[in-house]
Amino acid sequence: MSQTTPSAFEPATKTVSPLSLRRVMVIASSSVTQLVRMKTFYFLLAFAAIIVVLMSLNPPTTPAGVLSTIKRISFGTMDVFAWLFAIVSTALLIPKDIEDRTLYTILSKPVRRIEYLIGKLLGVLWVIAVSLLVMYGVCALALWSRETLYIAEELEAMNADARYSAENVGAQIALIEQQGLRPELGIAVLASFLKAAVVASVTIFLSTFASSSLFSIIISVLVFIIGHAHTMATSFWLYQTDNSLFVQLLLKVVKIFIPNFQLYSFSHGIIQGEAVAYSLVWQMTGLTGVYLVVFLFLSLLVFIDKEF
Amino acid sequence: MVSFFRKIPRTIVVLVVLAAFGLARTPFENRLGEQLIEAKLVVPPPGMTVLDQMGQSALMATLGGLRPLVAGFLSLRGYENFSEKNWDELRQTYQVITALEPLEESHWVNAIWHLGINATANMELDRKLPGFERKRRFHNYAQQAIEFAEKGLEQIPDSVPIRKQLAEVYREKLKDWENAARVYGEMMEFDDAPQYAERFHGYFLAKVPGKEQEAYDYLKGLYDEGEHQHLPTLIFEIRRLEEELKIPYPRRIPEADPDANRARPQKPKPQALPGGIVIP
Repeated sequence: MSQTTPSAFEPATKTVSPLSLRRVMVIASSSVTQLVRMKTFYFLLAFAAIIVVLMSLNPPTTPAGVLSTIKRISFGTMDVFAWLFAIVSTALLIPKDIEDRTLYTILSKPVRRIEYLIGKLLGVLWVIAVSLLVMYGVCALALWSRETLYIAEELEAMNADARYSAENVGAQIALIEQQGLRPELGIAVLASFLKAAVVASVTIFLSTFASSSLFSIIISVLVFIIGHAHTMATSFWLYQTDNSLFVQLLLKVVKIFIPNFQLYSFSHGIIQGEAVAYSLVWQMTGLTGVYLVVFLFLSLLVFIDKEF
Repeated sequence: MVSFFRKIPRTIVVLVVLAAFGLARTPFENRLGEQLIEAKLVVPPPGMTVLDQMGQSALMATLGGLRPLVAGFLSLRGYENFSEKNWDELRQTYQVITALEPLEESHWVNAIWHLGINATANMELDRKLPGFERKRRFHNYAQQAIEFAEKGLEQIPDSVPIRKQLAEVYREKLKDWENAARVYGEMMEFDDAPQYAERFHGYFLAKVPGKEQEAYDYLKGLYDEGEHQHLPTLIFEIRRLEEELKIPYPRRIPEADPDANRARPQKPKPQALPGGIVIP
C-alpha cells in the first residue's frame, strides 16, 4: 500500500465557500473608504446650507405652515441627495476599480464576483444610510428648535389673552406639534433610503456593461425619471392618443422593464402628517429586498464572464 | 444542460429575467400603489387639465418625483407674490402648487385666503386703479377663491379648514349670507368642525331675505338645547327675529335683550371750572 504525499507543485485544493460574509464585508468597508476619500460627504455641507437658509425664512403664515414648509423642503432635498448620490457613487465605483487596476487584484484572489458586487452595493448603501442619518439629524434639530420656539410663543400669547380656553390652547399646540418633529418622520427617511437602494442596484447593473461612468449616470437618471413618470405618463399619453393600441403595448413594455419609483414617494404623505400604515411600509421594504436580489442577479449574469 | 444555457446570448437571458420579474411584480405593485394612495401616503397623478397648465419646471418635477420639493419652493414664491401684491401670478403659482400636492389642505386654504381675502382687500384699498376696475377685479379674485375652494373640496371632501376659509370669503367680502350659511351648514356635519359653525349657520340664514322663519326655528332649536347655548349673539338674533316675525309674546324666549341690561357707558361728570362755572 503506497501512500502518496502531495507534491509542492500541485495546486492547492482548498475549496472557496460560495459566499463569504467576511469577504463581502471587507469589500464593503473598502468601498466606504474609497467613497469617503472621494470627499463625497462634502455634499452634507450643501444640505446644511439649505437648512440654514430655510431657517432664516419667515413666510407670512401660521407656525404650523412654516414648519410644514421647512419639513417639505428639507425632506425633499434629502430625498434628492440620496438618489443622486446613489446613482453617482455606484456608477463611479466599478469603473474606478478598473481604472486603478484594483479590480484585477481583487478578482485574482479567491473572491467570487457576486461577493464583489454585493460588497460594492453594501458599501454604497452604508454611505447613503450614514448621510441620510446625518441629514435627518440636522433637519430634526432645525425643526425641533423652531417648534419649541413657536410653542413657547403661542403659549405666552394665548395664556395672556383670557378669551382662549385651555381647550383652545391645547388645539393650537397640537396643530403645531403635528407639523413639528415626530417619530414617524424616521419612516420618511427610511422611504428615501429604500428608494436610493433600488436606484443603486439598478445603477450597479447598468455599470456592469456600461462603457463609461457617464453612460451609467445618464441612463440611471433616465430610468429613474421614467420610473417616476410611469403612472402619470400612462394616463396622459393614453388620453392624448385616444387609447391607441400601440401606445398601450409600449407602455406595458416600459412598465415591465423599468422599476416603479413612484411607489417610493410614500415619504410624502408621512411628511404631510398622515398616519403611517406600517403594513405598507413592510411591503415596500420587502419589495426593495426583491429588487436588490433581482438586480444583483442580473448584474452577476453580465459580470460573471466579463473579461478585464 | 448547463452548456446549452451557456450558448444562449447573455443579453437574452438578462432580458428574459427582467421581463419575468416585471410581469411578476406589476400586479403586486399596482395593488400596493392603490393602497398607498388610499392611505394618502402617495399623491395620485395630477389631472389631465392641470398638466396642460403646468410650467415646464413643474412638469419636470412631477416626472422626476420632486413634487414635494418643488411645491415647497413654489409656496415660498407664493408668499413673494403676496408681498408684491402680484395676484394674477399668485393664482398661477397656487394652481401649480395645488396640482403638485392636491391632498395638502394648507395649499388650498392659503390660495383661498390670498385671493379671497388679501387680493380683494387690496382691491378695496388700491386707489391707483379706477373704481370700476377695482370692483371688477374684486369680484374676479373672490370668484377665483371660490373656484379654488370647489376644486379643493373635490380633492378633500371632508375638509373643514377649506370650508372655514370659503365661508369667510362669502361672509367678509361678498356679503353673500345665503352661501355663508350654506357653507357653515355643511361644516357642522363634520366632527372636527368648530363649535360656532352651528350658530353661524343660523345667524347668516337669519340675514337672508325670506329665510327668517327657517332661521328662527333653527336658532330656537339651538336655544332649547340648554344653558350652554344661551349666548348673547344667539339671544340677540332670536329676539330680533321674534320682533320681525311678530312671534306672540307667550312663545318668546324669557331672557331680556342681552344689550338692554348692559351698563351704559357713563359720561364723566362735568367738573366745575374756577369760579363755579359748570359746563353741561
